[in-house]
Amino acid sequence: MDPKTPTCPPPSAASEGAPDGQASRRDFLQGALRLASGAFVLFSGGALAAGLHKPGAPGEGYDWSEHRYAYLIDTQKCIGCGSCARACTAENDVPEGFFRTWIERYAVSTEDSHVDSPNGGKDGFPPLQVGFEVTKSFFVPKICNHCKETPCIQVCPVGASYRTKDGAVLVDGERCIGCGYCVQACPYGSRFILPETHTASKCTWCYHRITKGLKPGCVEACPTGARMFGDMKRDGDPVRHAIEHDRVAILQGHLLTEPQCFYLHLDKEVR
Amino acid sequence: MEHARHVFRAIILLVVVVAVVSIGRGFLVPKSYGLHGAYRHDNVKEQMEVRAPRHGGVAACGACHAAEAERRAAGAHKTVNCEVCHGPVSRHAADGKRIAAADVDRSYLLCARCHRKVLARPEKFPQVVLEQHVKDMGADGPVEGKICLDCHHPHSPTP
Repeated sequence: MDPKTPTCPPPSAASEGAPDGQASRRDFLQGALRLASGAFVLFSGGALAAGLHKPGAPGEGYDWSEHRYAYLIDTQKCIGCGSCARACTAENDVPEGFFRTWIERYAVSTEDSHVDSPNGGKDGFPPLQVGFEVTKSFFVPKICNHCKETPCIQVCPVGASYRTKDGAVLVDGERCIGCGYCVQACPYGSRFILPETHTASKCTWCYHRITKGLKPGCVEACPTGARMFGDMKRDGDPVRHAIEHDRVAILQGHLLTEPQCFYLHLDKEVR
Repeated sequence: MEHARHVFRAIILLVVVVAVVSIGRGFLVPKSYGLHGAYRHDNVKEQMEVRAPRHGGVAACGACHAAEAERRAAGAHKTVNCEVCHGPVSRHAADGKRIAAADVDRSYLLCARCHRKVLARPEKFPQVVLEQHVKDMGADGPVEGKICLDCHHPHSPTP
């Protein structure tokens, strides 16, 4: 150990004068730093080793690295029946007044536009009168976009929000402290705070169904095929084919969140 | 050595701090945290097993109600999953046995959700102006209280 490293300022008189067999302040600091960094390497190495021996699959009979899910919505096919939102509520015990998925109705003219979603579209849509001449009108189903670069995970201070390897953005209710940052961060309004547990909740793409090879409840319920669910890692998947070959749109692309929920025939009025 | 006592004190203190931090970390950080990223990996399995799927699909219903399933599959409602009108199968049956009656809304609202003429519904989709339809059928009174199912069979409807 050279006590005189050229880049360091000269040691103080006190440590300079330390007799043999006694540690100088410099020696001590160097030793302490080495010990601390050694301990750090040891502990982080242990954590890394644990990580290397991690199980490939989160559950038996399901390997999440073999899947990457995507959602496709054809707005032209949606009839606004609300079957999807009702199925979602039944499948996931979504409390009254909250929505993991919902349907919006757009009434648009060149000058004006009007959007409504009574009870999220769960009870269907009543006849509508607006104060302008509607030139086009359509339904748009909305759902969590399960973004690749999602702001909701970035803002979570406790690691409760995360994205699985197969592409679903989930919330760990046990870790969630209910701060609501993610609810505010989501540009699509897909999250809410559950009234009973005061933790964040959202669409999981029915993770308990898709990991068993089933479709999400909303896709299962859609009578017109407006909602489609697919796997980008499966050959011949119709959703994958559509995303790869058709002109698909995403919501709020300028935010660079890389949504994994794609739209066919999306109008410019839809945000 | 007498003069180096402060050095040993500091080293002991450092060892104690490192020990406390590493032991405390073991208690405070959840077991599977950090395995695949900054989250508790065990939650993935918990989410997979949060509940058994409640919607069973057409096949689940057809296992007992083969005649209805066949009729539906041959009719105009062939793309409409049974559970859209009847509710999730888990409320009605468990382990292949009936546990409760399937809850069906038999009012006009069941049909109106899809077939009432409203703004935004695709034009090619079959839909009726309910008030006009009631009049055309020679019935009196408001739409409320009328039962579409009296004339239209839901499993194989014809206009």
